[in-house]
Amino acid sequence: MKDLPDFNTMSDADFRALAREFVETNYPDIPRYSLSRLHWDVVKPWYLILSDHGWICPTWPREYGGMGLAAGKHLILIEEFERFGAARVNDIGPVMLGPLLLKYGTDEQKAHYLPRILSGQDVWAQGYSEPGAGSDLAAVRCEAVLDGEEWVINGQKTWCTLGMDANWIFILARTDKSVKKQAGISFLLVPMDAPGVSIRNIENLELEAEFCEVFFDNVRVPAGNIVGGVNNGWTAAKALLGHERVFIGAPRLSAAAMARLEKIARRAGIWQDPVFRDRFVALQCDLADLGDLFETYVDKLRGGQAIGADVSMLKIFQSELYQRISELMMEVAAEGSGLTNPPEGDRQLHAAATYLSARPTTIFGGSTEIMRNMLAKAVLELPS
Amino acid sequence: MDGVTSEDWIDNARMIVDSARAIVPADGALDRIRATRFKEPGFDRAVMAEAGELGLFLMRVPEEDGGLGLGMREVCELARVLGGGLLPEPVLPAMMAASLLGPDLPEESMTGALVLTLAWQDATGDLGWQGGAADGRLSGRKVAVPGAEGAHLFAVTTSQGVALLPRDTVTITSANTLDGGKSSAITFDARADLIPCDHIQAVLQDASLAQSAYLLGLSERALDITLDYLRIRTQFDRPIGSFQALQHRATGMKISLELSRAAIFATARRFDTGADAMARARGAARCKLRAAELAMLVSREAVQMHGAMGITDEADIGLFIRKAMTEANVFGTPRALRAQLAQILDQ
Repeated sequence: MKDLPDFNTMSDADFRALAREFVETNYPDIPRYSLSRLHWDVVKPWYLILSDHGWICPTWPREYGGMGLAAGKHLILIEEFERFGAARVNDIGPVMLGPLLLKYGTDEQKAHYLPRILSGQDVWAQGYSEPGAGSDLAAVRCEAVLDGEEWVINGQKTWCTLGMDANWIFILARTDKSVKKQAGISFLLVPMDAPGVSIRNIENLELEAEFCEVFFDNVRVPAGNIVGGVNNGWTAAKALLGHERVFIGAPRLSAAAMARLEKIARRAGIWQDPVFRDRFVALQCDLADLGDLFETYVDKLRGGQAIGADVSMLKIFQSELYQRISELMMEVAAEGSGLTNPPEGDRQLHAAATYLSARPTTIFGGSTEIMRNMLAKAVLELPS
Repeated sequence: MDGVTSEDWIDNARMIVDSARAIVPADGALDRIRATRFKEPGFDRAVMAEAGELGLFLMRVPEEDGGLGLGMREVCELARVLGGGLLPEPVLPAMMAASLLGPDLPEESMTGALVLTLAWQDATGDLGWQGGAADGRLSGRKVAVPGAEGAHLFAVTTSQGVALLPRDTVTITSANTLDGGKSSAITFDARADLIPCDHIQAVLQDASLAQSAYLLGLSERALDITLDYLRIRTQFDRPIGSFQALQHRATGMKISLELSRAAIFATARRFDTGADAMARARGAARCKLRAAELAMLVSREAVQMHGAMGITDEADIGLFIRKAMTEANVFGTPRALRAQLAQILDQ
């Protein structure tokens, strides 16, 4: 294990410079500024470089092989990597499973799984959603029944991001049908090569297989593959969402899109057009306001305060702003908006790519509509 | 954050807000506001005197000039309270005028015995403020002067400094505003001493930010009133607040409100900790844009959600939409502000 310094004692400016130098020095010869997620065979070198330097799990405590970054420093790291256009690695192990195991896992589970995530030996997929349980996640039907010393799993998971690249998947499975729907769910770890597991890729609107469905047909895993206790999966799964909800509302997607919008407008010869500028600065103001709202949450994280349900406002506005920027891009790109390939081979000038990549952001991680329902009840205290 | 000073401003803000309760009732009652509407001069001079005694006009005057030397965060906290109470008195204009005058601020204006207001705008819909200068004499016109009918003194901005004009040297032309007050143009052609002032632009940006905070306070209160109504009003045997269509629109109001609040207080903090000229121009413009959009959005949605009650004068929510319509375009229409931002896009 790397013996890393405590980055949190550095000034923000120093850490920013360090993060920038790190990515500039170490980034391998793989695509930058990719709008779609890269598959494991492409992105693996970057994962392994991050792993070698001890930078693969920024938020894990240092004693478990992470960088132990506080929220504010983590944000700086993300910003600098985004600025460089570094590809997002398969981060479900580092971002989702790791913190969950740290909180709910047994000592054996931590000792076994965490090092394998750090080294890239295990690549994880997430199995929460099902065809009938998307935003209504508690409606999961995939079932696990205890048979002696093994769980027997039957059912289906879907929208597993980059699941075809994973060798392990964690799932929410129903383990008790007799209780309230949130109360009968458990969190299980399943190897993808177990007999009875099968995969079907799903092509998205960009004709790329970023997701897959995973089917479980009498799949057997040891009883010890449960995390957080029987029927406690809902609590464990929800606990993951704290800090991540702040970062999902970060202005970085919209900021990057604004930079691309400017490039497209310059290329189209309308950068000085007053009508375009009027709309551009309106979006720019929205982005700056989002940045200030985001900072209020980062300040809360820095100060160790809990993040409430109101944080979903960030995600709603961020994703809708990202879409509005992409909509103006399409208009500016004129007839070029309907092209399959980016003009002059520059991915940053391809309006359609941003437009399509902006579509899922109001759907994943809780759709905008569901989030508005939650906000209305939990924050505005409107009646049911 | 800025360490110790952030604690200081929170204490200061609490003190200011507590004292402001003397002129904005804590129970939120709007009786006085109703009673003051459509009556000369459009506000209550006694309330201005009380604001003066509370020291509110001295908030932005540096301590070495006998002021309180407080920051924009404190001013914005105060402005929120004033906005929530729909206060018609020109407290913020008087405060900003005092900030321009500094050591030249007349004693009677500090105490509120004489009402001082700010006359900056050259033409409606325009953000120009330099008109009216001449050597030894001041002649010209200023528009959208708040509280002019009840003012004793006018702080007039020009390209050569600030002049302090007594009421008998100006001609006032007023129009009634929707909220029951007055908007006035003043014309003048008088002998005047110009007080050199290198921070007029900065004070107008402060004023614009304070105006945004006033609109924020107005919107917060209008949303609160509307949410209360959604909780108690029943239709089809259910509280109307349980209907998803209204819930989703209410969350849209809330999101705009939180964006506005975050932008205003982050901008105020930047102002207080030394933002450069460009950051000040951008910050003031975008806060004003957001706050104007917010106040217009929340107040018209509020009227709709109140149903037929919302279009009666007896329902308090109507006071909010009339005030929002009166105040939203002060310190720049959204179009003018976006045009200003578009001009500095390449800088």
